[in-house]
Amino acid sequence: MGLRVQPGVIGCAVRPVIVGRERSLEEMIYDTAQLALADAGIAIADIDGIVVASNDQFDGRSISVMMASGPVGGVDRDIMSTPSASEHAFILGALRVASGQFRTQLIVSWSPTEVSSMAEAQRLGADPYFHRALPLDELSAHALQASVLENAVPHARAAAQAVAAKNRMHGQLAWPDPPLHPEPGPLRWPLTQAMTTAPVTGSVALVLAAPDFVAERGLRDVAWLRGMGWATEPSFLGDRDLATAPALAAAARQAYEAAGIADPAAAFDVVEINDATPYAELLAYDALSLCKREDWLARTTDGSFARGGRLPVNLSGGVLTWNPLFCTGLIRIAEIANQVRGRAGAHQLANARCGLAQAGSGFAMQYQAAIVLAREARA
Amino acid sequence: MSNDRVGIVGIGQSAFRARRDDASYPELVREAVVQAMQDAGLAFDAIEAVVYSLSPDAMVGIGNAERLGVDAVGGRNKPFLRINNGGATGISSVAAAYYHVVSGMCDVVLTAGADKVGECGDSQSVLNKIWDPSYERPLPLGTINMLAMSAVRYMQRYGMTEQDMAHVTVKNRRHASLNPKAHLRKVVTMDEVLESRCISWPIKLLDCCPQSSGGAAMVLASERFIRDNRLDAVWITGVAHVAETYWMGDRMGNNPTAEHADAYALGRSFEKSYRMAGITDPARQVHVAELYAPFSNTEFHVIDAARLVERAGGSIARLRDGEFELGGRIPVNPSGGTLCTNAIAVTAMARVAEVALQVWGRAGAHQVEGARLGIASGNGGDHQIFGTMVIEA
Repeated sequence: MGLRVQPGVIGCAVRPVIVGRERSLEEMIYDTAQLALADAGIAIADIDGIVVASNDQFDGRSISVMMASGPVGGVDRDIMSTPSASEHAFILGALRVASGQFRTQLIVSWSPTEVSSMAEAQRLGADPYFHRALPLDELSAHALQASVLENAVPHARAAAQAVAAKNRMHGQLAWPDPPLHPEPGPLRWPLTQAMTTAPVTGSVALVLAAPDFVAERGLRDVAWLRGMGWATEPSFLGDRDLATAPALAAAARQAYEAAGIADPAAAFDVVEINDATPYAELLAYDALSLCKREDWLARTTDGSFARGGRLPVNLSGGVLTWNPLFCTGLIRIAEIANQVRGRAGAHQLANARCGLAQAGSGFAMQYQAAIVLAREARA
Repeated sequence: MSNDRVGIVGIGQSAFRARRDDASYPELVREAVVQAMQDAGLAFDAIEAVVYSLSPDAMVGIGNAERLGVDAVGGRNKPFLRINNGGATGISSVAAAYYHVVSGMCDVVLTAGADKVGECGDSQSVLNKIWDPSYERPLPLGTINMLAMSAVRYMQRYGMTEQDMAHVTVKNRRHASLNPKAHLRKVVTMDEVLESRCISWPIKLLDCCPQSSGGAAMVLASERFIRDNRLDAVWITGVAHVAETYWMGDRMGNNPTAEHADAYALGRSFEKSYRMAGITDPARQVHVAELYAPFSNTEFHVIDAARLVERAGGSIARLRDGEFELGGRIPVNPSGGTLCTNAIAVTAMARVAEVALQVWGRAGAHQVEGARLGIASGNGGDHQIFGTMVIEA
């Protein structure tokens, strides 16, 4: 790819659900950052810069990076925040390592659930004159997209049901002890309880490093960044064709070009997709060139994307298992990093060498990103 | 010639006002973007990525309001992300755009944003929510009384007086009177400042920045693109950020972790920027400075932190002597600075933009003659997150 320096992920802490109230938000963020540093085998003193991502409305603060600065080690360090999306923190951190001006970056995101109404907090993100009055929250936007897809693609509903069942099954395997179960989410037609998951509190952190740092420390479990792309759609739903995902297609083109991938359907061992609903996963298959929409039903019902299938998708159980809303995108990236590092735990895919993470966020996945990570630095 | 540098090739700024009832929030962003694109002489096809500059959402009353700005910045189906480092957001956004280019990812990047602070109702009510809800928020803290406490400590440590503070306002208003983009352009006298209403002692009304509405945008490009397309540019040669503690209580008392009178982390950030730019003696090498100082007292510790004087507190006497006036040794805030214009989301971007215009020789009536090297800074959070840059012709 065109980056001056190739970044690699050297440490991850994925905490898609945090139960109990014995730790404050600051302590939860501290715990997550420390876990990622420990996973990398380095100390905070080794960190040159930090990028965090959080949502002010969910945190109940006007500039939530301020509170996080201490817990992530930001005092006396270079710290920036990307409140647009958790995955954007990874992108900016990767660019900073790629600049050659930083050897390491700590990336942290979190998503609490103390807000009195998550739907109301999301509704504040709709424009005040048109969408806010609908009323619109993220689940409603996902439902509108699901409805459009059901009209546009024959058998989309059956395919979506198969995707939901697959991811819930993966979730049961990924979280065997204790066997935690996601709460059924609220309903918006045509989304059923099996197709949504209620928000939970969670957080995630990654450590990025430059090749010279990796070599100097003798680090071996590294997920090298082969390609990344990100893009946005416009904000007004009326300006979008919700049956398509042009921003994700654009992001995928950037990532694949950088990674030298000509045939995406055959390029990856494992994929994580932001399945806020199974319809979002289906649409991502298409935009990522993993499976054409006319093949959705066949491929989702023949086990192609299930554990043991041709291309396992969301072995972590995805968002349909745990839904820490704001940081689900960065979790997808961390899950793929862990897969290619061989550190994915109960849901590790044997010999995963190259993976793709898709991150989407906002109303009907306005923001999109595609990240290619691999065990070898070069193809 | 190397291909490693990142240049600024286009700049746009609104004429900042208290209210912009004629423009919606996205229209305000668009206004600055159109200016920057015309200034660069580029079409939107050339823009490979966008960095959106927006500090607290609550100022515009829309959560993740950057989403509404996507079309205004021509971002549809392009790489797009937002930065929020509080008041430092503008300079942090320029830095993020810089990393897009210097990493090799992009050749041309647009950074843009806008704010409607003048229309938010009460910015201090919004800004109270930056503090911890259990301890410091209920005091109640705002950015004015937060920096009034800094002023009191600066007075005690270095001997600053209310008259010294008034000197800063008089200087910056005189500068702003020459800048058609500035919000507060009326020249004021020492007596007018000293007799203005006390807001939070020793800060009086005319020691305070206004609540401004307006937008700013900049286009950055790689040296290769600039050369291949024969563009005119000035260069970003130093970039850094450093943060200090969130807790106000940790900066005061007998054993503070960072003295609230000073701007310790800003000083560290300047050190890093200077090192990167090869500056060893800023007091002799810097020709012009645009330093984020929203209240008159803060300009002193910002000048100290930038090492434009020999020691902390040295800025007081030198400002009295006129060294930081237009025509002085190192003009500080020749645009009028944050004290005369504060549309928070883009205020620190305006600092970078104004320094760029200065070293470009395009600053107009407030041009510093012969300026070839300038510095800019931004302060975010509760005087917590600092960004700095060196810009050279």
